[in-house]
Amino acid sequence: MIQLFRVSKSFGTNVALDDIGITIRKGEFVFITGPSGAGKTTLLRLIFGADQPTSGQILIKGINLIRIKRHKLDLLRRKIGFVFQDFKLLNNKTVFQNVALALEVTGERPVIIRKKTHQALRAVGLAKKEKAFPLQLSGGEQQRVAIARAIINDPLILIADEPTGNLDPDITKDIMLLFRSINLRGTTLVIATHSRELLQDTGQKIIVLNRGRIVKEIV
Amino acid sequence: MKLRIWIYFFKTAIINIINNRLIHIISTGTITISMLLFGSFMLLSVNLNNWIKEWGESISMSVYLEDGIDENTKNKIESELLNLEGAEIKGFISKEMAMIHLKNSLGDQAGLLAGLMDNPLPGSFEIVFRDVSSEKIDPKEIKKNLEQLKGVDEVQYSEQWIERFQGVMYVMRVTGLIIGGLLCIAVLFITTNTIKLTIYSRREEIEIYKLVGATDWFVKIPYLIEGTLQGIIGGIAAFLILFIFFSIFTINTVRLFGLPVMDFVFLSQEISVSIILLSLFLGFTGGLIAIGRFFKT
Repeated sequence: MIQLFRVSKSFGTNVALDDIGITIRKGEFVFITGPSGAGKTTLLRLIFGADQPTSGQILIKGINLIRIKRHKLDLLRRKIGFVFQDFKLLNNKTVFQNVALALEVTGERPVIIRKKTHQALRAVGLAKKEKAFPLQLSGGEQQRVAIARAIINDPLILIADEPTGNLDPDITKDIMLLFRSINLRGTTLVIATHSRELLQDTGQKIIVLNRGRIVKEIV
Repeated sequence: MKLRIWIYFFKTAIINIINNRLIHIISTGTITISMLLFGSFMLLSVNLNNWIKEWGESISMSVYLEDGIDENTKNKIESELLNLEGAEIKGFISKEMAMIHLKNSLGDQAGLLAGLMDNPLPGSFEIVFRDVSSEKIDPKEIKKNLEQLKGVDEVQYSEQWIERFQGVMYVMRVTGLIIGGLLCIAVLFITTNTIKLTIYSRREEIEIYKLVGATDWFVKIPYLIEGTLQGIIGGIAAFLILFIFFSIFTINTVRLFGLPVMDFVFLSQEISVSIILLSLFLGFTGGLIAIGRFFKT
């Protein structure tokens, strides 16, 4: 599903990723971990096509992200859900509108958009908050809105960057259970975290990054 | 593209306009003023053109004949005049008729002519050019050619007036082009910057749209609609204001010394539609430039 071959990424003289090679199979649940500045977010952004690597090749479902046309990348992104560290919600739109956005851009029929948005909000336990605005929600609730938006298109891959970074342990547990249930439906999950608690007893594949290099891979 | 997507685009554009209403009101107002200036200029230009065309009917040329020419030479001159492009012979004024006209025009002073032994007035053909604005009619050239004809003594026409108005029209055209061009650039500049401001105010939203898989055109089209709406609203408003002002303040006929000199008319349907379409086009182009620059960066 996701293949990275000798991928490097530099920002000026600063090397964020150095000669990375990763293969993530369909339906896998993978954690990317490492200290701050290890290159976790950069790696996720490359997989999402938000940035281009300085060198190397990235294949998503066999499609080379280096050679992909902009329009095709837009279409590919509809099959990749991304939960951002800062949620990236629109504060002037309701919870419902924020989640529906991911379907609106596909030109889906309004009746389908309504149905799927309600489904996604039910899945994250926010059905009753659909009319609220993001700033009226707690951090955990905002995170769940972002997850609902990421899963509404039934993505093949779900990427989450520090999804539990600012959440208390109970909410973290709920969010992780939600991710597991999404993964059980066949979605490939890639989660970046620096939380050691989150990685304990997961039984999932863990890739440890440090200073832009893979230092350990636990399967 | 599906109709519902277009409905979505229009809805988004209108919501954007409402959310940024102050800047859109200022921008559309400026477009209205620019198009109003442009329209006023067109109105003046069209009326001056009409005026000059109407003047063509009153611009006559008198072809004075030499004394004592035979009928054959006179007929030859007449046929030459008939062959002139755009010319119409209004009549032939014989020496006798010319004297009668002179006496009539002198009125009480006609007795002054009683002492004349011979009639010194020449016979003349009176000709009229219907369309003096036509480039094919060059009165100077016509005068020169006719004066070379055998039997023609002199040719006179209201030379100064024609040249002066042709000069005025030339200046009007050049000024019109310059002012029109500057106004178009101003409208483009205004629309581009307004759309740019609304794009920048929503750049975070655009980023999120792109992250969830929106294509470039999905994001761009509402801004193009915004620009186009600004243009068309500005154009229609300018047209309506011009029409209202025209209806209230203008008189139908301009008179000079009590004589009707010029009919004041409103812009034709074609010109009116062209002004609105030009405004629409400028709004659309402004939107296009704005999104082009934004997505480039």
